[in-house]
Amino acid sequence: MLLRPEREDLRIVAFALGRILTIVAVASLLPLAWATLGREWHPFASFLMMIGLFAVLGQFGMLFRPKTERLDWSHGMVVVALTWIIVPAIGSIPFVFSGHYGSPLDAMFDTVSGLTTTGLALVQDLDHLAPSLNFWRHLLHFLGGQGIVIAALVLFAGGGGLTLYYGEARDERILPSVRSTARFIWSVAILHLVAGVLVLGVIGHQFLGFDWKRAFFHSLMIFFAAFDTGGFSPQSTSLGYYHSYVFEFATMVLMVAGAMSFGTHFALWRGSHGAVFKNLETRTITTTFLITVGLTFVGLAVTGAFGRIAGLTRQGFFQVLSAHSGTGFSTVPSVELASWSGLAFGGMALAMGLGGMASSTAGGIKSLRVGLAAKAIATQVKQLLLPEGAVASTRYFQFGRKRLTPELAQSAMTVALLYVVLFLIGAGVAIAYGYGLQEALFESISAGASVGLSVGVTDPTMPALLKLTYMFQMWVGRLEFVAVFALLGFAYAWIRGK
Amino acid sequence: MRLSERSVIRSVVVMVAVLAALAVPGRAFGADATTTPVADLLEAADDFDGATITVEGELVGDYGFRDNGTMWTQLNDDSYARKAIVDGGARTGANIGIGVRMPAELGEGLDPVGGYRLEGPLVRLTGTWRYHDPDRAGESYLDVVSMVVVEPGRRIQEGPDWTVLAIGALLIGTALLMRWRRRRSTATE
Repeated sequence: MLLRPEREDLRIVAFALGRILTIVAVASLLPLAWATLGREWHPFASFLMMIGLFAVLGQFGMLFRPKTERLDWSHGMVVVALTWIIVPAIGSIPFVFSGHYGSPLDAMFDTVSGLTTTGLALVQDLDHLAPSLNFWRHLLHFLGGQGIVIAALVLFAGGGGLTLYYGEARDERILPSVRSTARFIWSVAILHLVAGVLVLGVIGHQFLGFDWKRAFFHSLMIFFAAFDTGGFSPQSTSLGYYHSYVFEFATMVLMVAGAMSFGTHFALWRGSHGAVFKNLETRTITTTFLITVGLTFVGLAVTGAFGRIAGLTRQGFFQVLSAHSGTGFSTVPSVELASWSGLAFGGMALAMGLGGMASSTAGGIKSLRVGLAAKAIATQVKQLLLPEGAVASTRYFQFGRKRLTPELAQSAMTVALLYVVLFLIGAGVAIAYGYGLQEALFESISAGASVGLSVGVTDPTMPALLKLTYMFQMWVGRLEFVAVFALLGFAYAWIRGK
Repeated sequence: MRLSERSVIRSVVVMVAVLAALAVPGRAFGADATTTPVADLLEAADDFDGATITVEGELVGDYGFRDNGTMWTQLNDDSYARKAIVDGGARTGANIGIGVRMPAELGEGLDPVGGYRLEGPLVRLTGTWRYHDPDRAGESYLDVVSMVVVEPGRRIQEGPDWTVLAIGALLIGTALLMRWRRRRSTATE
């Protein structure tokens, strides 16, 4: 029998949501401060309204103090799924009032895209956008990539941390407690923030000739988008704006760091380099990256898109790394990317769909699942070749030797299959609106795998239903299905339960 | 009589030609017979490779003066180049721009580059379109040799929206009041 959630369940969810929204309100003081320093009074007013709404809703939720603050599995998942709906809805207020969006839906599209670290954008006249609003767009990458809920875990203790942690699609605890793991994740981010902004800022000043203020503005924006594998950029021509391989190289290092799991960061920090390179996940992502780079290079060479090997290598390598890490920066215009057909298109689409490492800011199927699925298939083939009665067992190395159980293999394959279905849904809707198969598939994978590369489908004039479909794909893809299914189950139980 | 008929026919042909020219979809702002709209350039970037072209638009972003005596910036050829959204311009989609490189001395003394509350200088640039330039590992950009400033840059005013500001202040006041009352009731318990 399906049990309807009790009043106490709702109180638990409301209270946890209230706390998280209060923390988001505090984080939103940063763009407000930016607007104040820059005397950008129009955005200032809209930031004030956004913060006020976050704060009121936060305080309202916290009025429902439950008897126990301990969240069970379903509470945590529901809280996470709702957080990822409410925060973009309210977070889009400054964009709505900026005038740079055709409708509130467009503004929310960009907020969802920012928070899920996708990078698809419907902003118009980006090159005249207020710096504080640009900062807010990129800060959304940072908040979403590092995990809003994880930020909340760092700041307040309380039961149910584990379920919130898993709800944001993180499946490895690095340190014994979730709170210390969350602290580690934010420490890694802050460390990279300082180093990344410094390096990019110096390059911006020394190599690109920007004044110091502008150099650090660009470096901060690009850091947020690169390390959190987001893909927004402060100028309309993305990374192509900088015309510098030195700047691109520094950005690539940050993209790789962003696509790495925090477990890998921890192992590298402890000096366990051997274990990292032995990991199934590291080997899988290296293999798939080489395959997709190879495919793209051959595809570009066949079409003769670049006259010389230097151009093909630089441009091809950057776009594939951007796709595989889930970042979404590009150094070529979308109209040119749309012309990449055949193997080049295949390489890019595959790279986007496969994604980065598990428990990283990247999206997509994730390398660990790809590696596990490949191992499971190999085991099945081996089993067929063995004599009757013999059992093929498979082990893999991921920070220690582990056995690949049928349940684990099934789980990896199920999630991979769900991603394929998600990609097909988006492509199907676009095709129904008359877009070509290739562009529909490319854009859909980009949205579902939180990448952000575009071949031109994402545009303010695209149909509203397609915008909603991509938003749904970004939301579900970022949360990796579980939290969304939990929310749907919770809602169903509320309606039909007894 | 025959001459008169011929002149009528000629007049009709001229009128049809003029009407046909007017019916051609509008090009980017300021585009004339000698300028190439950037949208067209991007659409067929390969075809223009190595050609000397003239483009017109607003300089936006930054002026990056590099050690090798060049200056890099971006030229936008879209509706916002003349009237940005902040200035009350209509929303017409994303920006349309290309990277441009010019000798540093050409870029010296230009008005502030376009950005927030700033319309950058409106310029007409002539140069060679380099598509996937092998000397710069595949970059595409306009290698500028001459520049004409069509319109100087200008500042744009944007004040606060007082209604939004008042609602924001009211909401924050409400949140602080709710927090104070919640804390007081917790302390009483």
